[in-house]
Amino acid sequence: MDAKNLKVVNKPVRKMDALGLACGEPAFTDDVEFKGLLHAKLLWSPHAHARIKKIDVSAALKVPGVKAVLTWKDLPRVPHTTAGQGYPEPSPYDTYTLDNKVRYVGDRVAAVAAETLEAAREAVSKIKVDYEVLPAVLEVFDAMKDGAPVIHDEPDSKNIPDAKRNIAAKFDFEVKNGEWFKEADHVFEHSWSIPYLQHCAIEPHVSIAHFDNFGRLVLRTSTQVPFHVRRIVAQALKIPVKKIRVVKPRIGGGFGSKQEVLEDIVAALALKTGRPVKLEYTRKETFISSRTRHPAVCRMKAGVKNDGTITDAEMEITLNTGAYGSHALTVMMCSGSHTIPMYRVKNNIKFVGRSVYTNMPVAGAYRGYGATQGFFAWECLMDMMADKIGMDPVEFRKLNYIKLGEGSPVFKAMGEGREGVEQVITSTGLFEAIQKGMDEIKWAEKRAKYAGQTGPVRRGVGVACMMQGSGIPEVDMASATIKMNEDGSFNLLVGAADLGTGSDTILAQIAAEVLGVKTEDMIVTSSDTDVTPFDVGAYASSTTFISGGAAKKAAEKVRDMILAVAAKILDEKKEDLRLEGGRAVSRKGASCSLSEVANTSLYYYDQHQIAATASHYAHTSPPPFQANFAEVEVDTATGKIRILDYVSCIDCGTAINPQLAEGQNDGAVVNGISHTLSEAMEFSANGTPLNASFRRYKILSAADTPPVRTFLVPTWEPNGPFGAKSVSEIGINGPLPAVANAVYAACGARLFDAPFTPEKVLAALKKTA
Amino acid sequence: MKKDILETKKGNFEITVTVNGELKELSVKNGEFLLDALRRHGWKGTKKGCDTGDCGSCTVILNGRAVLGCLVPAVAAHGGELTTIEGLGTVRDPHPLQEAFVEAGAVQCGFCIPGMILSSKALLDRAPRPTEAEIRKALDGNLCRCTGYVKQVEAVKNASARLAGGKRKRG
Amino acid sequence: MKNIKYYARPSSVKDALALLLDRKYKALALAGGTLVAKTLPDSVETYLDLKDLPLKGIKLQGGNLVIGAGATFDEIDRDRLCRGWAGGIVSAAAAKCSSQLIRNMATIGGNVARPHSFNIFPVVLLGLDARVRVQAKGGSRLLGLEELYAAAPLLRPGSNCLITEIVIPAATKKWKCEFVKLAKTDSSWESYVTLFFAAERRGKALSRARVAVGALSPRPFRAPRGGEGPAGRRGPRQGLRGRPRRRARRGLRLRGVGQPARPLRGRYLR
Repeated sequence: MDAKNLKVVNKPVRKMDALGLACGEPAFTDDVEFKGLLHAKLLWSPHAHARIKKIDVSAALKVPGVKAVLTWKDLPRVPHTTAGQGYPEPSPYDTYTLDNKVRYVGDRVAAVAAETLEAAREAVSKIKVDYEVLPAVLEVFDAMKDGAPVIHDEPDSKNIPDAKRNIAAKFDFEVKNGEWFKEADHVFEHSWSIPYLQHCAIEPHVSIAHFDNFGRLVLRTSTQVPFHVRRIVAQALKIPVKKIRVVKPRIGGGFGSKQEVLEDIVAALALKTGRPVKLEYTRKETFISSRTRHPAVCRMKAGVKNDGTITDAEMEITLNTGAYGSHALTVMMCSGSHTIPMYRVKNNIKFVGRSVYTNMPVAGAYRGYGATQGFFAWECLMDMMADKIGMDPVEFRKLNYIKLGEGSPVFKAMGEGREGVEQVITSTGLFEAIQKGMDEIKWAEKRAKYAGQTGPVRRGVGVACMMQGSGIPEVDMASATIKMNEDGSFNLLVGAADLGTGSDTILAQIAAEVLGVKTEDMIVTSSDTDVTPFDVGAYASSTTFISGGAAKKAAEKVRDMILAVAAKILDEKKEDLRLEGGRAVSRKGASCSLSEVANTSLYYYDQHQIAATASHYAHTSPPPFQANFAEVEVDTATGKIRILDYVSCIDCGTAINPQLAEGQNDGAVVNGISHTLSEAMEFSANGTPLNASFRRYKILSAADTPPVRTFLVPTWEPNGPFGAKSVSEIGINGPLPAVANAVYAACGARLFDAPFTPEKVLAALKKTA
Repeated sequence: MKKDILETKKGNFEITVTVNGELKELSVKNGEFLLDALRRHGWKGTKKGCDTGDCGSCTVILNGRAVLGCLVPAVAAHGGELTTIEGLGTVRDPHPLQEAFVEAGAVQCGFCIPGMILSSKALLDRAPRPTEAEIRKALDGNLCRCTGYVKQVEAVKNASARLAGGKRKRG
Repeated sequence: MKNIKYYARPSSVKDALALLLDRKYKALALAGGTLVAKTLPDSVETYLDLKDLPLKGIKLQGGNLVIGAGATFDEIDRDRLCRGWAGGIVSAAAAKCSSQLIRNMATIGGNVARPHSFNIFPVVLLGLDARVRVQAKGGSRLLGLEELYAAAPLLRPGSNCLITEIVIPAATKKWKCEFVKLAKTDSSWESYVTLFFAAERRGKALSRARVAVGALSPRPFRAPRGGEGPAGRRGPRQGLRGRPRRRARRGLRLRGVGQPARPLRGRYLR
């Protein structure tokens, strides 16, 4: 199969919400007014680790306009996780809406709702807290030592594998086919590390809790996971699910940070006051008290034969999950499960994973989800091995990467938080992606040209290949409802959460393709737990593959119903009809419009609403593949790296909307480049964040961004809707290894520690001298 | 000199400002910044991404210049001429820049887009045919995490060609 | 900002100064406001907006380059006269100030008036021997940048006096200069170090080599004048190897809050 005969899918149709957003329509959470709205403000912990001995809110309550002050005493104590994952979540239940212990600088202490933001701020400043400051531990390796402060010493938290050693999650796995490294001609071992990184969605976390006319709680919130928000808020506050409605308006970016359920506290304030309450994080609060990427130290050891066979591979990854174990197990497992299968390993494979509590900000889901950490190590190690055996790094990869029809023991052994599923590669365009990338970057020419450079400024090209998943197999489920209107248009109701990715548009394209209509004939409503059917939400690169599958199935059911009515109208057999150009057309050439079909069904014959709901889940998670090429210039005197060109060729199966797919990849790549060159959260010796602002953290601006070129390499994934696989996350993982490898090619310096600042480059250069 | 001085009344300044071509009398709070005042008075297209002058989501055009709404005290807009994203075009009648952003696929989450478009507008008003470097420089105060700026730069180039080509004339 | 009672936007320097000196107003003057507006002290009751003052122009006067204090970074970046002066160093420096939106708002006068580690212009102006015209009680005075900063307790631009223009001496018009900003990224507001360097080559000797360094302390500093050095193969580098570097180190210790201090290496200063 291929995409040739498709009419709507694989076409760059306009993103359906784009014009409204470009015109500044009030589409986001905070763009609507609520009468009598209260403003919430939280008191954050100034200590990395402390017990709250006493908390006095009397002065705060006296501030004019203050309507409620909540502390741990006012709320039910329910251990839960803020990770917006499928139930039961594989993350430990170690979080309380408010607790009598604080575990990092920026942890919640108390919450205020007041008539004005100023009053809320003032009240927060008047809450008197008597802390018993406890010893804090900021580093993962210190946290695992005997005698380290125990961060979760409370008895009621659940699913913590080893609270005494601060281990929030662990997973070990080994395939043993003989003695380790016996066949290897060369053995390599190194560690790679990634610092605290923040998502930096431009819209901060913002939620408004209000009540409908019948007293039900409505959460209008900037989330990627509306259904998980409903479930977890119900759990944390001990209220029935039926009492909560979650509405997802347009979302100003998420990248994983909004897969986190932080809405419990604003809901609690609304319930306490009976008034609508808004909680909007400041940028600083978003940096510190929302979520981050898991900092990681990834040690890899691998053996290679002189002929290029990889004999053994061992990955030991230690993630810093911060004060709470949100996504602690799953990110850690994905750092191995999405990466190790990339290359064939002949004999032995081992994975040792730990997620460790520290008194630091809480890590969570972040685009790339562990694969960013794992691929940095794996792809740099690949480069070192190729270098040692004197093979071109591209050729070495071509020799070893996973081919069509091949599987990996890792797929079965490692899922997300549990055992995975056995699968083989059912589509791959990696070969073509590599060829395209080599052509675009002029690989052979530049490798030759840049060999033997002298002088302080050196150039080099580097490569890194990637894979990711498409949803979590046998875990992620999505559904879609389609109903037909009189004019032959359709409402498409999806639980999938478009957070700027364009999923509303591509789901409409998928349904429109089946129904033989234009994308404009689909009216999409995404994500309102009262209105749309269930979907796990926007994460794990699942929306195109899983939610797309649901949209396609629902459309097929509706198509069937349409054809049944059309068969009556045209007096033909249903089997002889098809939908095309907004009409039901028979083989003989007779046809009727969809509007006739709709009117017939609604008003004349066997009156019924043509509508259907379908759900979809998958038994496999077909990986997209990607080849990344970077050309860099290194100033060996200053240590400054300049990226001259970055080419990223991606096989995402059929791109449902090529323009949006390119945009997804461009954004992921630039986010990755920003990680590579400048981003890192910095902390003082007592765990206080030092650069919690755009000004100091510094994500790349348009002027800072090097040329980035995305090329789509079409393939057909038989298990995906119209041959599609995922596209959103994979691109973020490429820049760290691709740039590191290019820097090595340029000047011989190996970089192991992100970001690659001038100091680190100079230090690495010193080692080569 | 007295005529040059505005005095607060009950913690508010009463200012006169032309917003999107209409003369408005607005009451702004003492200590309020233009971003908050605009949003409070219903111009929700001006976004708050950081409130510290670092992200550009609150960009508005004040007296011909693209400025940061979060750093301009609201009272300083007194007597000024202000363009917000709502004044550029509407869904029914969009500005060529708005269309160009949509067509190029430059709008992902869309939160930075109003600011990005207004910065682009200010650029094209003074340099109708900018180079790519000039576009990137003009947009360097408008942060975007979704797009990598690739399609946004393309959109400004396309809009520039369209506007300079004189096919459509807009304010 | 919350205690502001009056908003004043005078149209003459005379009126502005009178208001500033009138104690009953407790006024503070703001131009672009990018540095101050968010952090206005609570004691200020009058927000004195300098926007309408006739201080925008950039002109040649007696051979000197005279930049009105109200000129924005963006205007200076794009100004023909500035672009032609000393190899365009003033414009180039203006372009390196954080983002376009800030460059549209911030003025050269404000940048000089409010000492801040990451200010761009003082470094360049110090290097170019620029003088600042200050309008204070009793008339106007032309002060060097170091003089202005030394007079800080008495002369506080924006509080008890106003900067009206910056005068860059005619002698610098043909200078060959470099301005370097080392920062996390090109468009960072903050920088690790900013550096102005100028020199002339006379035969085998460097003359008038001068260095001004910013970002290490709220006010920039420069190497003492003079110091003819041999113009070896390394050229300008020689001039930087000696005292300025030690000075820079000293400057490092002067720093207050900001980016974690980073060692300033000679090799940065290529």
